[in-house]
Amino acid sequence: MTLKGTIALTLVAALAGGSLPAAAQGPIRIGASLSLTGTYAKLGKNQHEGYQLCIKELNAKGGLLGRKLDLVMYDDQSLPPTAVRLYEKLITEDKVDAVMGPYSSPVSEAAANVTEKYKKVMVAPLAATTSIFKKGRKYMFMVISPAEGYLEGLVDMAAKRGLKTVAVVNEDTLFSKAAASGAVELAKKKGLQVVFTEAYPKGNTDFSALLTKLRAANPDVVAAATYFDDAVALTRQMKELNVNPKMYGVTVGGDLPEFYDTLKQNAEYIYGATQWEHTLPYPGNQEFFDTYKKEFAHEPSYHSAAGYAGCLIYAEGVRRAGSLDADKVREALLKLELKTALSPSSGRARRRSPCGPTTSPRARRASRRRPGTHDRTRRGPRRPPPMPPPDQTAGLRRQSRRSKIPAMSETTEP
Amino acid sequence: MSVVVTPEMIGQVVISGILSGALYAMVALGLALIFGVMRVINIAHGPLLMLGAYVTFFLYSRTGMNPFLTVPLAMAALFVVGVLLQRTLVFRVVDAPELSSLLLTFGISIALVNVAQNLFTSDLRAVEYITGSWSVGGVALSKPRFIAFVFALAVTGAAFLFLKTTRLGKAIRATSQSREVALVCGIDVGRIHMLTFGLASALAAGGGALLAVIVAIQPEMGGVWTFKSFLVIVLGGAGNYPGALLGGLLLGLVEQLASLFLTTQLSEVVAYVLLVLVLLVRPTGLLGGRQT
Repeated sequence: MTLKGTIALTLVAALAGGSLPAAAQGPIRIGASLSLTGTYAKLGKNQHEGYQLCIKELNAKGGLLGRKLDLVMYDDQSLPPTAVRLYEKLITEDKVDAVMGPYSSPVSEAAANVTEKYKKVMVAPLAATTSIFKKGRKYMFMVISPAEGYLEGLVDMAAKRGLKTVAVVNEDTLFSKAAASGAVELAKKKGLQVVFTEAYPKGNTDFSALLTKLRAANPDVVAAATYFDDAVALTRQMKELNVNPKMYGVTVGGDLPEFYDTLKQNAEYIYGATQWEHTLPYPGNQEFFDTYKKEFAHEPSYHSAAGYAGCLIYAEGVRRAGSLDADKVREALLKLELKTALSPSSGRARRRSPCGPTTSPRARRASRRRPGTHDRTRRGPRRPPPMPPPDQTAGLRRQSRRSKIPAMSETTEP
Repeated sequence: MSVVVTPEMIGQVVISGILSGALYAMVALGLALIFGVMRVINIAHGPLLMLGAYVTFFLYSRTGMNPFLTVPLAMAALFVVGVLLQRTLVFRVVDAPELSSLLLTFGISIALVNVAQNLFTSDLRAVEYITGSWSVGGVALSKPRFIAFVFALAVTGAAFLFLKTTRLGKAIRATSQSREVALVCGIDVGRIHMLTFGLASALAAGGGALLAVIVAIQPEMGGVWTFKSFLVIVLGGAGNYPGALLGGLLLGLVEQLASLFLTTQLSEVVAYVLLVLVLLVRPTGLLGGRQT
């Protein structure tokens, strides 16, 4: 067959393929590994449910590019090396059509090496550490607000109340380190004295000695950059060792209903950070909350919402690109603005817009949309976080392209 | 940012160390028993502890039982599980090369953790029965940890008494000293192996049940306990039962003091450096291991 003939045939096939009904083509297989067991299990599971709900809804609307969607899911046991292996497997063995991000910064950081190697677009909805998106990575997209801002609300409120000293403790992994250093920076700027800092290893369950030292430093405020399991352990042991600061806040964990379920009355008066609340008046937010609760028999957390929104963002990118091709999807995502339940408008920066230090979309966005810090006296209706006004914006952003953006410490943004 | 260490803080940390050390000792005694009697390193020891913790959690959350009263029930339940494991699987590797027993118990441990993940989910569970602390001379004495400490001492004491004085206990020790001679003296070695594995599982379960009151539990909590128990029995002298007690307390203290003077990050490093040092100076452990 001549070359011309081949091209013609291919063209015909492509045209025919385009008009075929969805059922005739296989589903689009989206692969991901999530922390379904291990120390991040609770959070990874919520993210998983967010993905599931998103895919179910997309399928109910006829799928994507006329094809159904299928989620190929593995459990990385909260271990970055396992995630690396699983993304390799997803891409090379399972040959999935697309990937979505795992849970947590440390795991996303590890998985990014694989997805970049194979040039797969990865929307990483639960990776909050900005450094992951730098390093010249081209195909990764960030969804939630940066880790550095998680404790901003707590420090802010403490400063307003005239508290003077703060202790910062953190799990020694990517996200918690960033959140802790953000808290330290901000505390210094707000005139609070940082009297104690210490990191503890992932999976640590005994905080006796750390808390003994912390108690001796006698801080007004304890800011803890935690995940869920360590937040629970730390809180319990603070009670046991009579550590009673005037304010105590955690990053991840305090926002989950399970925090109260596990700790009961000991969960009272603890501040938690969240990227999302169901009471926020975002379009589709209430529907998302209701459907999710009906589907999974528990309330969503911000991890669920971010997973859900991240998946929608990726799907919208594919829809606009009209293809699963990584470079096309990437271009579409870079231009994308999308309203999701996580945020009213995903004001992604125009790629090459001149971003002045104070007017950059991220800085603006950040100043409005910091992770809300709020009293976690659950039982009874959840109060919306006091800070973010309803017009806050959030969402997708590409860090690597945004080299002009000032450093964290200069903008006090999350 | 460091803090000046005061004597009060050292007191606090020493108490924390002793409280957790007793628990280490109790759990490690189980591992020492199995190793002493069967020369099997039971990697499933930690997962058995985890099952014990879940017995307590479910009894407490379903029936509202006092969690400390569930300790004997958890021990009894896991005694049965231990005996069944020995009857069906572990007896096959008692005389096999050590690698076989490692592989087998490793397999059992993976199976137990995965069964637990499927049955109980990976959610973190906690028994919020008693919290807070007593203040003793400026030192905070955690209520749940102290009660758990008393229970751990009682159980460990009872186990020692059992080994020392009862006929069965003597038979276990005899088997551990020399299986052939025990056999010649009319001891049913197979039965002793079964009982030992049951007893060891019960000790692990007791530790798990007490832990459930102190910390939040999840199916993978056991792994680190296998390692800590192993560290304890090597410190004290493998197969040496009082050695397990000494090793447990020592590990508890070293961990806490290292966290106090250095950082929490380094405490594990210090514990393992100690292990290396002990092995260099006294390769058979502090109290001497069992001769082979």
